[in-house]
Amino acid sequence: MNGLWLVARREITTRGRTKGFVVGLVLSAVLVGALAVLPRLFSGPDSFTVGVVDSPALQSALAGVAKDAEVTAEPFADEAAARKAVLDGDVDAAVVDDRRTLADGEVDRELGALLESAHQAAQTQKQLAEAGLDPAKVSAAMRVTPLEQVSVGADTRYEDVRTGIAFLLVMVLFFLLLQPSMYVAMGVVEEKGSRIVEILLTSIRPWQLLGGKILGLGILALANLVVIIVAGLGAAVATGFSADLPPGMTGIVLGTLFWFLLGYAFFATMAAALSSLVSRQEEVSSVISPLTLLIMATYFVSYFAAVEPGSGVARILSLIPPFSTMVMPVRTAGGGVPFWEIGLAAALMAVATAAMLALGARVYERAVLRTGARVKLSEVVR
Amino acid sequence: MIDIDDLHKRYGDKIALDGVSFSVKPGEMFGFVGANGAGKTTTMRILMGVLAADSGQVRRDGRALAFEDRRRFGYMPEERGLYQKMKVAEQVRYFGQLNGLSPKEAAKATGDLLERLALTGRAGDEVGALSLGNQQRVQLAVALVHDPEVLVLDEPFSGLDPIAVDALAEVLVERRTAGVPVLFSSHQLDLVERLCDSVGIISAGRMVASDTVEALRAREGRRLLKVVVRGAAPDWTTGLSGNITKNGDEVLFADANGSDQEILRAATAAGTVEHFGWERPTLTEIFREAVA
Repeated sequence: MNGLWLVARREITTRGRTKGFVVGLVLSAVLVGALAVLPRLFSGPDSFTVGVVDSPALQSALAGVAKDAEVTAEPFADEAAARKAVLDGDVDAAVVDDRRTLADGEVDRELGALLESAHQAAQTQKQLAEAGLDPAKVSAAMRVTPLEQVSVGADTRYEDVRTGIAFLLVMVLFFLLLQPSMYVAMGVVEEKGSRIVEILLTSIRPWQLLGGKILGLGILALANLVVIIVAGLGAAVATGFSADLPPGMTGIVLGTLFWFLLGYAFFATMAAALSSLVSRQEEVSSVISPLTLLIMATYFVSYFAAVEPGSGVARILSLIPPFSTMVMPVRTAGGGVPFWEIGLAAALMAVATAAMLALGARVYERAVLRTGARVKLSEVVR
Repeated sequence: MIDIDDLHKRYGDKIALDGVSFSVKPGEMFGFVGANGAGKTTTMRILMGVLAADSGQVRRDGRALAFEDRRRFGYMPEERGLYQKMKVAEQVRYFGQLNGLSPKEAAKATGDLLERLALTGRAGDEVGALSLGNQQRVQLAVALVHDPEVLVLDEPFSGLDPIAVDALAEVLVERRTAGVPVLFSSHQLDLVERLCDSVGIISAGRMVASDTVEALRAREGRRLLKVVVRGAAPDWTTGLSGNITKNGDEVLFADANGSDQEILRAATAAGTVEHFGWERPTLTEIFREAVA
């Protein structure tokens, strides 16, 4: 075990110090943080400032209608002052004499609706009072419980956000499965090509060397994933976007970590086995092309699943290893995946990963000391 | 005692080893010589377990070598292997720990070795930034860091400058004196002759000679008799048997085993005998003879 951990620690300290890793870490965190904030920037503001000229009733009514949004009323002495404030952008709109709304161009749709309903409420109350009704009774009668929204179909309230999260996951998982697998492949060939492996394997067992490498680079990738998640969620919290996140985020995050670990073990072992067949860095990309193709294919099907998380194809793909490593977390982000499907997919992928570990270790052990020409896979699998 | 017993290895049609056997005793420096492709590296790789023999065995004190035995060996492969992007001291420490040293022991052993090999100033540099000669010293440090019980070094002297050769030789002699069997291969036969107690000569996958340097010399059939006579007439050797080579006053008699006394008498009669004695064959001559 000690050998395994020594190898893992070396991978972490040497690879973690490289420019490539640090840049990838920072960039991915910044990118995901930005993507988490982006919809917020495009969805327009949730707080408005409204100029009010001689409309005290409206002012109090606004406070009653604006539940999700924050509307600040700012009184102005006359229309000219309100007009100037609108043009200067100090207020988003201004209501004058309970008759006209002034805006620079069109009134924001959400604000317009808010102003209209506040105006309706204020005027109704005023006119009823003028008709001789007791103002206290009027205001009591005006207190109406708003309609509660109940979806009898799928809960689509968070659909956009869920789709957004799914796309983010596709990107992040693709990056974090491919990059460390490439590192594993490059590391294996570095050791084989320079024959360090001859010294290493007189000191430790092949499984310690292979396992330590996969473990160390996996810890780095996991740290990268955690940083990305923290950056994304942190940005969401910082911008107030977290209120719009769907329920079950903890499950989505934990599920992503779980699927990442299974997928990484699978792809990294495959990378190590394939790359152990060659002795030169120039040959790495061609020898691991089956792996890159497989990750690309997984990426594309999970992209599809992010668009259509409820489709039958996505359901089937989310059960098939290794596609499940990305499709299942993407579907989970979409919501409404039965537990038995997740369990079945996890069991199948666990079996596939165990098989890959067994096969990969065998190939690696037999091929890594055979330097020189490329070793044929058929020669070492038997 | 390391016994290499009847190793056979083929690569496809090519026979790399055809029954290689020899032994290295504790406290013995064993020079392994042979032409390129003769089988030195293959033998050493089998000894270190990085290559499997088709048949034959490597034993230590009568027991077949296991992984745990080899962990206590120091090994320097033919193609130098180091992590180019790793710092010198860090790398030597790492291999020390892989071989079972505690972090503290590894740090101490690394410091001592780098000092011995005049690398202390480069301890914090990446290996890739070092000259090839210095990289080779680091490679040696990697092989020695865990105070190995047996040393197996493939061409440890190649590419070293004379000072580095002396430093390395000194370290090897020190280990040998401490009772460690040292096996190394080299093409620098003068060096092997100077350092080694025993020599094994391999040719085309077979051991053609394996013995102490003294015994090999004694066994050498083509011995030379060197005679230096001052003030003799140039033709004093006329009538003497043997293959004669003249160089001024110095005369070399090959194949003179039976007629040495007769030559001595002729020399004494011809002038002042300044030198009369058997030339000891150099290892190079022995090697040429053995692989011819």
